[in-house]
Formats: sequence, C-alpha cells, structure tokens
Amino acid sequence: MKQLSMQKLLLGLLGLATFILVWKVITDFKLVSPIFFPSPARTWTALLKGLAGGPLLAQTLETVQRMLLGWLLASLAGIMLGALIGVSRRARAFIAPTLELLRPLPASAMIPIAIAFLGFSDQMVLVVIAFGALWPMLLATIHGFSAMEPRLYEVSAVLGLSRLQVIRKLALPSAMPMILASLRLGLTISLILAVVGEMLASREGLGQSILLASRSFRSADLFAGIVILGAIGLVGSGLLSLAEQRLLRWQAVTR
Amino acid sequence: MSMTRMNVQAGQVEMASPVSHAAEPRIRIRDVTLSYGALQIIGGISIDIAPGESLCVIGPSGCGKTTLLRMLAGLARPTSGAVELDGSALGGPDRSVAIVFQDYGKALLPWRTAAGNVSLALEARGCPARERPPIIRELLEKIGLGRHADKYPSEMSGGMQQRLQIARCLAQEPKVLLMDEPFGALDAMTRQALQDEVLSLVATTGATMVFVTHDLEEAIYLGDRIVCLQPNPGRVGRMVDVRLAHPRDQLVTREDPEFLRLRRELYDLIKDDHQ
Repeated sequence: MKQLSMQKLLLGLLGLATFILVWKVITDFKLVSPIFFPSPARTWTALLKGLAGGPLLAQTLETVQRMLLGWLLASLAGIMLGALIGVSRRARAFIAPTLELLRPLPASAMIPIAIAFLGFSDQMVLVVIAFGALWPMLLATIHGFSAMEPRLYEVSAVLGLSRLQVIRKLALPSAMPMILASLRLGLTISLILAVVGEMLASREGLGQSILLASRSFRSADLFAGIVILGAIGLVGSGLLSLAEQRLLRWQAVTR
Repeated sequence: MSMTRMNVQAGQVEMASPVSHAAEPRIRIRDVTLSYGALQIIGGISIDIAPGESLCVIGPSGCGKTTLLRMLAGLARPTSGAVELDGSALGGPDRSVAIVFQDYGKALLPWRTAAGNVSLALEARGCPARERPPIIRELLEKIGLGRHADKYPSEMSGGMQQRLQIARCLAQEPKVLLMDEPFGALDAMTRQALQDEVLSLVATTGATMVFVTHDLEEAIYLGDRIVCLQPNPGRVGRMVDVRLAHPRDQLVTREDPEFLRLRRELYDLIKDDHQ
C-alpha cells in the first residue's frame, strides 16, 4: 500500500519533470519567440523575484482571498438552497425549469449584468464568482437529496426523526460524496472567475497582473503568474482530497 | 388426527404459552382493505394480536404479506378499516412500532458505525448525548455485536448487519416488533442463530412480534400463531395455533411431532394456493 502510493508520487513527479523538459527544449531551440515564451529558468527567476520583493505575493493573496470568499459563498448558498429544494418534490418541480434556464448561462455572460448593478467593484467580482461556482454545489445537493435511498425515508419515519433531523442526519451525509466532488469543481470555477473578474474589472490580483504583464511583453512575469495559478489549483484540490478522505472514510472501507 | 391427541397438546399449550388471548389486544386489525386504484391488494383482514404474542404471516408471493406489515408500521394507509394500537387508531408511523426490513444494506446508514446506527434511534427520541453510550453498548452487547461497535456496515457480514438493524429497532423500545422476511437473505446457520436470538429478545422485552416469512418452518419455529394469507386480494386463509413449548430449541422443537404435523398442514395449505 505504502509502496504503491510512493510509486504514484514518483510517477507524478516524473510526469512534471517531462513537462518542464519539453518546455525547456522548446525555448532552448527557440521554436517560439522568447518574447512570448520564456524559458523555465527565466520564469522561475521572475517567480522568485516577484514573490520576494515584488508585488506577486500580495497579488496572490488577493486572488486566493477572492476565490475562497466566492467559493464559500457559492458553497453555502448552493448546499442550503439545494437542501431546501431537494427535500420537497413540490419545490423541485417549481424551481427546476428556472434552474435549467439559468444553468447553461456562462458566468462570464453575467459579468455585464453584474457590472450594471455593482460597477467595477470587488463585490461585483465576488457576485460573479458566487454565481458561476454555485451550480455544481446546488445541482449535486439537489441530486444527492433526491437520490437518497427511499428505505431511509421509511426508517426516518418509523424512528420519528424530525424533518430537520432527516436533512442533517440522513440526506446531507448521503449526498456528501456528490457534494464533495462538486466542491472541488466549484473551487476550480471560483479560481477561473476570480482571474477573469480581476482582468475585466481591473481589481488587484493575479488576473490583473497577468494581463498587465502580457500587455507590456513581460512574458516571464506572465508565466510566473500562471505558475502560481496552477499551484493554487493544485493545493486547493489537494486539501479537498484530504477532507474527502476524512469525511468519506466509510466509503474507503468498501473499496 | 385423533381428538384425544389434540386435547393433550392443547393442554400443554396453556402451560407453555405466556400469551393470554383474553387480554385487550395490543394490535387490532379491523376489516382492513387496501386498493391501488382498481387493484385490490388487501381484501378485508381482521386479526387481533395479544400483547407479547408472536404472530407469523405466511402465504404465497403477492398475497399482501408485506403490505399488511407496512400498514401495521403506519407506512401504508388502509383504504378502509383501521389498525389499532392499544385501542387507538394508528395514523402513521409510531415510535412504539419498530420494523426490521429485509434489505438491511439499504436500511442502515453506511456512513455511520454500528454504534452510530443504533444512536440514530436514540437521537430520534431525544435521548441526551451523554446517556447514549451506555445504552448503545448494552444493546450491541445484547445482540452479539459488542466487539464491533466501531465497524461500518460495509465491514460487517449480512448476519451482523441484520443484527445491527434489530439493535436499532430495540433502541426504539418498541411495544411491537415487525419483521419483514428479515432472514431471507442469510445463510442457514446464521438464520437459525438469529431466530433464537429474536425469540429470546421477544421473551425478555415482552414485545409483540409480527413476523413475515415465506419459510414455513421459520414461521412454526417462531410463532405462537400463524396466519396464512391467500392472494387476489390478500385475505386470511387460515389461522393456525402453534402448540409448541417455549423456549424452543433448533433440534428438539424441529423434531417434535407437532412441528412436523404443522409443517405438513401448512405445506398443503400453501400448495393448494399455488395451484
């Protein structure tokens, strides 16, 4: 078991090394102009410089904060709304068509509307993130609730559980695998929308920093920003994996 | 069958059976029918079940055994007639009526340990958190799961999971224990062990039991009375008293001539229905 995960880790690192090597070969042979495509070494230097003395650290924190706040809002709203809709068949019938209408709208299409209401503000970006990241959590919760084993509803009726107890003790845990998967999806969407929002509304953060670097042909800074975005995604998903392992321990047993 | 032998056996029962049919019934099924649209599932069933009695329900598939049990649990409403518990009509599920489902895999919470599953019943009846552990421990101990409190259902065998479901039902402190072919999916040895445990639980708690099964021998072994339902629509075909001494024993009871006679009698009844 331990050996297996060690092997997995090594393979993963090997894959990453290959990726960087290909990147290095492309830049070494100048297959793409260095003005647009910096070498790994230059990106690394820009990254260190940006983090140590430059504005990169502050911008990263800004973006992470934006992403987390939007994600948290979306998760809370999604799960609570999903629970409300999920427990009642009537509520589902009432709201399902509207949801289906709103769901396929790209979150970026909502940006003009959000700007109209909130201007170029941090709140505007937050609302766009929350709106875009809401869907996976909302739909997973609704689906998880309605997919609950019907026998458990009977068990809850015979035991005399209150409606709130049914939600907290039966429906929510039984929907948990789906909700956790959607939380991960929502985090990715939050990161994307945080960056897009910063670019469009020119709010402080990695999105804006990348955009400015690109406009002034500072390709190394541009890539440093992208590397950080990748790292944020990696760390976020890793943390959620850990949470998943803890919360779904009962599933690991079966596998 | 000679009359004298019947009488002798009847005499034995008065001594052996703890049940008095004269008492106010715990459950009274009063002319109950149930229809889905034009389809009548249950067509007028009336049975009185005494406190502490163990009634087994048998019959061919589609005769409404499970439907009858679901009505006793309050999970299905009779179209006409009523089910009474201690003299008052049963309007829906009631905490004092517990039901053990056949599909233990679906009735248990896979994300809770054995202890957690039992705890659910205690949480439902508002038992304070600090009072729960000793009750849970005692119940799991009683049903033979004392060492498995921290296991998840997926780590347990079918027999253990069904034990766990029974423990959760006992946590309700029910007056009536309904069982819907609870051992149908278990192997023969496990099944016999659980039959004995259920009998001793019913004896110690004084609970009234209604046990649905398609296994004639199980019905005779567990029952004080056996009701044999007939299909289309489901109705009482025959009510049979089981005059076998308590406590019952897997070997002795099953070799008792009365046991064999009952098996023959019920077998003929069921066989007729299938023709």
